[in-house]
Amino acid sequence: MKSWFTHNLILKLVALGLAVITWFYVNNELLNQQVR
Amino acid sequence: MSFVFWTKIVPPLEIMILWFVFYRILVFFEGTRSFQVLKGVTVLILAFIVSQLAGFDTLNWLLTKLFAISIIAFIILFQQEIRLGLARLGQQHLFNIQLEESEIMAIVEEITSAVYKMQKNKIGCLIAIEKEDKLKTYIESGIAIDAKISAELIQSIFMSYSPLHDGGVIVRSDRLVAASCLFPLSDNPNFSKIIGTRHRAALGLTEQTDAVVIMVSEETGEISVASEGRFIPIVNRERLVNILKNLLVGQKTKSI
Repeated sequence: MKSWFTHNLILKLVALGLAVITWFYVNNELLNQQVR
Repeated sequence: MSFVFWTKIVPPLEIMILWFVFYRILVFFEGTRSFQVLKGVTVLILAFIVSQLAGFDTLNWLLTKLFAISIIAFIILFQQEIRLGLARLGQQHLFNIQLEESEIMAIVEEITSAVYKMQKNKIGCLIAIEKEDKLKTYIESGIAIDAKISAELIQSIFMSYSPLHDGGVIVRSDRLVAASCLFPLSDNPNFSKIIGTRHRAALGLTEQTDAVVIMVSEETGEISVASEGRFIPIVNRERLVNILKNLLVGQKTKSI
């Protein structure tokens, strides 16, 4: 189980960062659209 | 109550799904020349998001226009990857549904035996095993054999005085279908300068198809297995058998 987390750790972290940024960005856009 | 609970659970769930999708995309591109391009695209996307959040209107306008054009550029740059990705979508990585595990193991045993005998005599070899993606193009580039696979047959093909020893052999099911086949050479910038042509061919084939390639270096006698555009180091016979079993029967090895 431990090896799954540590294997390709950098790619996993980069992917997580991109996922979080994308989610907040899209959510912000959707909120802006609703306000308009 | 359940609606409130659902609204709380949706954001982390969405982030998890996005995480998985981004991770799969990064893994798919990792180690290929396109990975460098993907890095550049990621930087541009981040710049776009930052410019929008910070209110840099001019920069944001320029990047918006750039993205409109870059959709076409993206399709051209990643043409091959998009085609491969779509072709692999939904495919199950099974060696051959007509073969039992015991039959696969018998083939693995023959290949392993041949590989270790060739390593002992420092004879180079290149053996590609077809999985889901058909290797017809590469089979046609070589000499048709279509014989039942055996360690002796593989060894005799790769003997330095054999007219068929140049290029690679292709194994389909329990048959050695062709020899002297030409494989595409990898242009992976991480490997191309330090590895020989045989290794580049092994890497190139596994980048473009789901085939598994086993090779022995003529210079060092070193055995390697290539799969999905990566090399898996082989330290002993048991490891080679285990890796081939995992790759061909359908499970993933821990080292990939």
